[in-house]
Amino acid sequence: MREVYVAGIGITSFTRLEYPLVEIAAYPGLMALRDSGLKKIDQLYVANMGSGRVNAQTGLASAVVDHLSLTPAGAVTIENGPASGASAIKEGFMAIASGMHDVVMVIGAERMREVNQLEATDFVATLTHPLAEYIYGVTLPSLAGMFARLYMEKYGVTSRHLAMVAVKNHHNAMDNFYAHLHEEITLEGILDSPEASTNNPYVADPLRFYDMCPVSDGGACLILTTAEVMKKINKPMIRIAGIGQATDTHAVHERKDPTDLLAVREAARQSFEMAKVKPQDVDVAELHDAFTILEIAESEEVGFFKKGEGHIALEKGETKIGGKIPINPSGGLKAKGHPVGATGVGQAHEIVLQLRGEAKKRQMQNAKIGFTCNFGGFGNNVVCLTFIKEK
Amino acid sequence: MELNIYAYKCKRCGEIHYPYKTICKKCGENDHNEFEIVPLPKKGKLLTFTILHNPPSDYEVPTISLGIVELEGGQRITGQLNIKNPKIGMNVEGKIEVVRKEAYNKHLGMVFYQA
Amino acid sequence: MSVDVEKILRPIDTSLPPFPAKFMTLSNGQEMMVRQVNRDEIPDILPHVEKLMHVERDYYHIVAARVYAELLAYYTYRVQDEYVLIAQVDGEIVAVVNGRIVNPDIGMSYHTLAMRRGLRVGAHTFAAKMEYHIDILKQKEVLIVAESPIGFRRWMIEYKLEKRFHIPHELGGCPSWSLTKELFDRARNTLVVGRRPVPEKLLAKAHAAILPPTDPPKPPEDLLAATRSMLDNTGTSLIEMKRRLGGM
Ligand SMILES: CC(C)(COP(=O)(O)OP(=O)(O)OC[C@H]1O[C@@H](n2cnc3c(N)ncnc32)[C@H](O)[C@@H]1OP(=O)(O)O)[C@@H](O)C(=O)NCCC(=O)NCCS
Ligand SMILES: [Zn+2]
Repeated sequence: MREVYVAGIGITSFTRLEYPLVEIAAYPGLMALRDSGLKKIDQLYVANMGSGRVNAQTGLASAVVDHLSLTPAGAVTIENGPASGASAIKEGFMAIASGMHDVVMVIGAERMREVNQLEATDFVATLTHPLAEYIYGVTLPSLAGMFARLYMEKYGVTSRHLAMVAVKNHHNAMDNFYAHLHEEITLEGILDSPEASTNNPYVADPLRFYDMCPVSDGGACLILTTAEVMKKINKPMIRIAGIGQATDTHAVHERKDPTDLLAVREAARQSFEMAKVKPQDVDVAELHDAFTILEIAESEEVGFFKKGEGHIALEKGETKIGGKIPINPSGGLKAKGHPVGATGVGQAHEIVLQLRGEAKKRQMQNAKIGFTCNFGGFGNNVVCLTFIKEK
Repeated sequence: MELNIYAYKCKRCGEIHYPYKTICKKCGENDHNEFEIVPLPKKGKLLTFTILHNPPSDYEVPTISLGIVELEGGQRITGQLNIKNPKIGMNVEGKIEVVRKEAYNKHLGMVFYQA
Repeated sequence: MSVDVEKILRPIDTSLPPFPAKFMTLSNGQEMMVRQVNRDEIPDILPHVEKLMHVERDYYHIVAARVYAELLAYYTYRVQDEYVLIAQVDGEIVAVVNGRIVNPDIGMSYHTLAMRRGLRVGAHTFAAKMEYHIDILKQKEVLIVAESPIGFRRWMIEYKLEKRFHIPHELGGCPSWSLTKELFDRARNTLVVGRRPVPEKLLAKAHAAILPPTDPPKPPEDLLAATRSMLDNTGTSLIEMKRRLGGM
């Protein structure tokens, strides 16, 4: 296998964007081309989950490759639920590692705010089991609610811990120009004040409003290439060192222990093994905190903390910027935003910034190893990536 | 006729699946995919639950309660709850009722009551 | 002579009990105060409303234009029994709501305009307005319409308003919805918040000056984005586009 490097990156704000999906995808592509100094690509992968349904547009990759005037490069759209982004990076990686292509552009893009919030939630809910879950009115927040209740009971996680995740991630997003939410929140405002239960009402009890990510539009791009091409462009050598992907049962109730995120554990294990590093070596991580409880659970499953101790590490501030292992310095899905198909690429974008040392105020000093976890379905399709900065 | 939710029992190894799968998850034998259709039991214990305050827009109620129940025999099912103050571990009993309406379609599913 | 005409044109307001100011903590930990303003303060509010008339998204333009007209009508005595409440954070204006009293039993809610997003300031201030009608003025019901989908979700869905479609609302004759005392009582514990009395310091700060909002909703940055959004049901910026091209 050939080594695979990140040559260029680009991103749009994750927020409500008032222009067509194709441009939401193309713009970060343009930024990444400029960033890398490259002009041509061999292959384009576009990760997107809902264009057919939400934007009434299919064949997105063909539209994007033309919009960027990169024809006749190959182009493929990848739909893999909320894990589409990292899945597309995996495809791009394989295309280069195999020797098939030399320069691959991976874009993630989503435009969910074209429809109202209820429709957006329903569109995401279509990834639940159609016969055993969807017909009951199951949505992603309700799966997260059921997961959280059991998890909290089992490991002593409280609403306060969940709120601490939200407060931390909102705080991190303040320094991220591209984040959706630029608003500090406080435990006082969302938990303790007499108005807290109105400011922060239950959505899927025990999860509340501030435990959920917002519905965002947005796009992000990574250009991947070989060591050889990297020599010609003067860019930091950020290598995709490990990729892991694993799946789990479609219906959540079929899992032996519904608080177990088997696929996360397995994907992370594969990714670390391939990169030949240990979870403890990681300097900075982006985890999939679509719901605050997931940041805690994933931080344990990927191996940063022992099972049941993630919330204790959070309490101690170990996951803050400057802590032992900063999690979601970008603001995470919680505050940076969650344009579903773009999220995995967005996470990788942040890690590349961190490893390059370009993350400005939210920079983790001397970060060398970065990690992302992109969580699809309710944990039934997970992709983990490990990035290493080379000298 | 008593309404039931059906599970799929592998004719080779006896593993019960709910929902249906094409290949048995236990014996994994792919030279057959023969299953016997067996009704799921209706009594069980509540494993976890949530109260959803923004149900999908086709529901005309302010909240719906959803839960995962471990049925007698160890099978699990996701269903709706019609229980005032649900608690983890409580005994519940299911009835087959309409759980969702889409235009003229009515979807039947398991609704659990306190046992 | 002209003095007499003015007498004819100017309605005679009923004297109404004032809205007692209240305050609440927002999600970001800041304290927001809601209070009634009198006629003399209207000119201090108008410029902040005017800017929103050019924000062609989320129906800010129409709501701001109407609020502007209603505030002006209040200032110049051309509407009967209107009242205006504002919300302030550190003196900064963050929301305006207004309405009118139709008769002792029925109130007419006009508008809710939030100048800061994402903190429920609009929802909190709307709740204060409902409290004014139902608790302070002891009215039986308030008639409401929504101009925007966000408004619809906030009022019709969150309060589960009843239909009064046979009654045209004063805003454009649209079919009305109603918040009855019973519905309000049901929402009281969840949607209606605030504490009284307001601490002296907060009161003093709010009354000292109505400061401009720091981060009000703005029109789309990019003219191209505006052009493209002609095809876009989340923000048709046709008017904005023409305005910037100098056509208006
Ligand atoms: C309706 C209104 C008063 C509600 O105010 P509010 O309770 O403070 O709520 P917000 O507007 O902050 O938030 C509601 C929505 O705006 C979104 N929002 C929050 N911050 C935002 C921002 N900075 N930019 C754009 N949208 C934002 C929220 O995400 C939420 O939408 P979602 O739930 O679909 O994600 C306010 O949106 C408003 O003034 N709108 C324009 C005028 C109007 O429609 N008035 C009502 C007439 S009936
Ligand atoms: Zn079998």
